[in-house]
Amino acid sequence: MKRLNWKQWTAIAALVLVVLGTSLLAVRTFRRAIYWRVHRDEVIRPWMSLPYVAHSYRVPPHVLYDALKIDHPPHDRRPIREIAKAQNRPVNDVIRNLDDAIARARQQSPNPSPPGRSP
Amino acid sequence: MNLTDQLLAAISIYGLPVFFGVIVIAAVGVPLPVTLALVAAGSFVELGEMRLWEVIAVGSAAAILGDQLGFLIGRWGGRRLDAYIRKRKGGAERIERAHAFAERWGALGIFMTRWLVTPLGPWLNLTSGMTAYPWPRFFLWDALGEILWVILYVLLGKIFSGSVQALAEVLGNLAWVLVGIVAAALLVWWIKRSLQPGASVTRVA
Repeated sequence: MKRLNWKQWTAIAALVLVVLGTSLLAVRTFRRAIYWRVHRDEVIRPWMSLPYVAHSYRVPPHVLYDALKIDHPPHDRRPIREIAKAQNRPVNDVIRNLDDAIARARQQSPNPSPPGRSP
Repeated sequence: MNLTDQLLAAISIYGLPVFFGVIVIAAVGVPLPVTLALVAAGSFVELGEMRLWEVIAVGSAAAILGDQLGFLIGRWGGRRLDAYIRKRKGGAERIERAHAFAERWGALGIFMTRWLVTPLGPWLNLTSGMTAYPWPRFFLWDALGEILWVILYVLLGKIFSGSVQALAEVLGNLAWVLVGIVAAALLVWWIKRSLQPGASVTRVA
């Protein structure tokens, strides 16, 4: 049998590492996709607008506007970060308010409307 | 707030100009959350905040422009590197082999790294410039791949408009899985080739 030189051994070691790393990432991606199918809700982030959060959580937008005590404008595309700035509050505080409002809305109406364009 | 939050908030407030800038910079090779930017733009389309044709036109133009900049950087740096390698023993032969390899696989590589194996895209821009790959052909395959990429990701963002973070994470991971598969295939090819009788292990093409 032919003896392998150091370059070939290095390539084989690299191949083993690449196959292991890729397999682990593939399994993680598959599990994430499965989890996503079951738990559709996204973690609320400062870049999201209230229409987006309402759309993602399938709650009427007025629930979120009411929770933050702001008038419901025709189309408010401000991110939560900007709303927190305008209200002079920490962004996490605003997100907590929204989480609570969504939980309350879901308790009152356990069957969310189907996903689609927010009203 | 992290960089992703800052960028997406800026896209949400200022719209297409920021979207354009983010994609150009990412195409040159700066690691920005461009997958999330594209799928988020798709969700903004669904929410009525952006127009689909504008997002696709601006996103494609930005990606193509960024790739041309990467190609130019490679071309500029490649001339110096080319001259340096040619001066070394066996350098000219290596350069010719690299050019032949780019000539043979360039179009497929450029097209696939635009929309499928996306993490390798900025590297291929540089190496295409360095190996003096014909620019009109680079532009053609680049434009086709980038338009496909933008349409695909924006439409996925529009369809799964309530879950853009999860979708971007899955798409980003999938792209790296594909990079791993390509790397494994290249290593298997190289090992098999080097094991053939009389093979020179330094050959790349």
